[in-house]
Amino acid sequence: MSFDEEMQAALETFVIESQELLQTMEDDLLSLEQQTDPSEAIAAIFRAAHTIKGSSGLFGLDHIVRFTHVVESVLDALRDGHLSVSTELVAILLPCRDHIALLVEALAEGQETEDAAQSQTGDALLRQLRPYLGEESAVAPVKATAPTNDPAQTGNWHISLRFGADSFRNGMDPLAFISYLGTLGSIVTLTTLTDALPDAADMNPETSYLGFEIDLQSDVGKEAIEGVFEFVREDSIIHILPPNSSIDSYIDLIRSLPEDEQRLGEILIHSGVLTRRELEAGLQQQGQPTPEGSPPQQIGSILVETQSVPQPLVDAALEKQKQAKESKARENQSIRVDAEKLDILIDLVGELVISCAAANLRAVQLKDSRLLETNAEIIGLVEEVRDSALKLRMVPIGSTFSRFQRVVRDVSADLGKDISLVITGGETEVDKSVIEHIGDPLMHLVRNSMDHGIEAAALRAERGKPAKGTLRLNAYHESGTIVIEVSDDGGGLNRDRILAKAIERGLVQPGITPSDKEIYALIFEPGFSTAEQVSNLSGRGVGMDVVNQNITALRGTIDIDSVPGEGTSLKIRLPLTLAIIDGFLISIGHSFFVIPQDRIIECLEMPSTCNNYDYMDLRGEVLPFIRLGALFKLDTHNDTAEDTTPRNREASKRENVVVVEYAGSKTGLVVDQLLGEFQTVIKPLGKLFNHVQGIGGSTILGSGEVALIIDVPVLVRHYSQREQAALRAVPQYACA
Amino acid sequence: MAKTILVVDDSASVRQVVSIALKSAGYDIIEGVDGKDALTKLNGQKIHLIISDVNMPNMDGIAFVKAAKQLPAYKFTPVIMLTTESQEAKKLEGQAAGAKAWVVKPFQPAQMLAAVSKLILP
Repeated sequence: MSFDEEMQAALETFVIESQELLQTMEDDLLSLEQQTDPSEAIAAIFRAAHTIKGSSGLFGLDHIVRFTHVVESVLDALRDGHLSVSTELVAILLPCRDHIALLVEALAEGQETEDAAQSQTGDALLRQLRPYLGEESAVAPVKATAPTNDPAQTGNWHISLRFGADSFRNGMDPLAFISYLGTLGSIVTLTTLTDALPDAADMNPETSYLGFEIDLQSDVGKEAIEGVFEFVREDSIIHILPPNSSIDSYIDLIRSLPEDEQRLGEILIHSGVLTRRELEAGLQQQGQPTPEGSPPQQIGSILVETQSVPQPLVDAALEKQKQAKESKARENQSIRVDAEKLDILIDLVGELVISCAAANLRAVQLKDSRLLETNAEIIGLVEEVRDSALKLRMVPIGSTFSRFQRVVRDVSADLGKDISLVITGGETEVDKSVIEHIGDPLMHLVRNSMDHGIEAAALRAERGKPAKGTLRLNAYHESGTIVIEVSDDGGGLNRDRILAKAIERGLVQPGITPSDKEIYALIFEPGFSTAEQVSNLSGRGVGMDVVNQNITALRGTIDIDSVPGEGTSLKIRLPLTLAIIDGFLISIGHSFFVIPQDRIIECLEMPSTCNNYDYMDLRGEVLPFIRLGALFKLDTHNDTAEDTTPRNREASKRENVVVVEYAGSKTGLVVDQLLGEFQTVIKPLGKLFNHVQGIGGSTILGSGEVALIIDVPVLVRHYSQREQAALRAVPQYACA
Repeated sequence: MAKTILVVDDSASVRQVVSIALKSAGYDIIEGVDGKDALTKLNGQKIHLIISDVNMPNMDGIAFVKAAKQLPAYKFTPVIMLTTESQEAKKLEGQAAGAKAWVVKPFQPAQMLAAVSKLILP
């Protein structure tokens, strides 16, 4: 890579890094007010701004440096306790963060300087920040500038160096400094003073004893020369006399140095800055107090003071030394991979799973036990590869959750309610594709809870609740699924009103009293969510039925729990991944089906006694069942029980029941044969099959045959609706 | 033989730019993402210079330099701290820990190169 290309790559890193930092910054800003001890969050926010400023300086992005610098100064004051967290401050810092994000965004699109509009917005924001800066508001904007040279000078500079005794121990090599000095001009003379060297026996090889008198021919300024010795200035004695300095300044120099005056004088004469006569005259003229006996360090420090040496260093020493708490920000080592590459990997692993199944089938047909053994091993490994490939796509749901901090903040301001968001389980991991699709439904549920769930402050006070409403987002894993909970401490669902409305719309027969859960589930019915009818549950343009559709499309389910007066809790259950599932292969007649294993509770043989009913006795429980063969109008071997083809004679004449669970209740699926666990690579069905109820997708078996994947929730719901309709059509059954 | 510099910063872009600049000047670079990580890189190999950020997660630059200076092999290794103009106190703390040189952020690659060549001979 050429240098330019490398820098371009570095710039891309900068953009990605900044975007991540800005995300943390937003999350932390939003959480600031809720924390009892916000110092950690402040430190993290500061560091984010700090890193962005530092990095953008590297790329010469002065506009980002300029803006971020002011933000950083405010954050610094906040960190040091000069400012305290307030809603107003957060309200200003948030748009500032957004502005930085905007600048970074523009940069990602190739815009390396700000345009007029951006600079206007930036200035407006900076004006808002100014009051928080106190007298520091006059701080000049910092620019990342390369060292500049002062106006050219002629003649030789004279530099006296006495390196501190600890120089070597500090890793400071005098030779390196002198070598660097040589890059500023040409060293005309250099005299090494070994006067301080003790006897060999007393000498410590780690101690620096040497002094140097240097004459430098250079046209750089004093600042540049001082800059050379910046790192050793505090421990060393350094004098820099500009070309053509007055004789007096040379005499002062001689007096202030620890070595013998005459000897130093000789060196100066030798280097040509002084004549012998000037030296002698000077020494006599100012001959009164000699600084003899004073320790050189002290003189050094006095001189450092009188010469142009930074005052801030002293000031800073007095400053409160506050150690920012070490942030626990997760900075795991990671590499970035294009999501598309991962998708390709997952696809390939999927194909590999199918090929494995094919190889296994072949081995079974050949009855080759060694091949079977090898295959079993390969299948085991492929499963591991599959699992780790899928794990690559797993991301914590936390970042999705924390987006809602902003939403809750903004919406509660719109609604005039005081609502806080509590997030738990943010570390729960879920497939990236699930994350991508869950945002919209979650958004709707969160808004719904805020709008209609949580009561207005006055009503809350009346009910004896704290004025501040609480909305909770929680996530956890539960048997192969991720559960996302949206709960509020609002008024709860109005059971009676929902029921009344459902009866009015003919969704529930009058006289039938469904369970609370069933009533609550009604709010997901299409057209149920219009604002004026059920006041505490209505959508903003999008109904709850759309939420339900979205979740169902993700092969998920929603459960509602609600306690009047105490709040509502919605539980969304989603599969961890959308690409491959653990399935259970069954057959009905000549057709194969896959039932997602996480739905299956148990499998058992169909008791011969209940051939004429639609329910059976499951250890004292009534288990309704669905005859899949009849539902899908397939030829089951049971229909042709007397059939004498070899295939059916071999097969068990009894049917089997797969017990599945949906929405807390069990249902049996009657099938012919149980064929066992099967790694199922989901292939979507074509558009043509969109209207098919109860089938969620397809997969290809090792033999090349297609198996349909049963979508248990849809199937069960569809079937029970159909049955209910049938019952309504024949009233005498309903009354029986 | 090229001299080796350990660059420690939690910002990937800073590491990347510093590395590019130093590599183009002929130095070998080892990178550390924070103090803790950088300590694992101090495994006895010859390192001529350490450049470290101050504000880092897990282990900050000051704790890192203190720890590094405890190791005999790196007792005398020069350290450049990356500070900011708002961090004078940090700079003093860093100096107390043994980091006598510093470069103020934001800096340009040329400034970093200048600081490096003050400390190690070409």
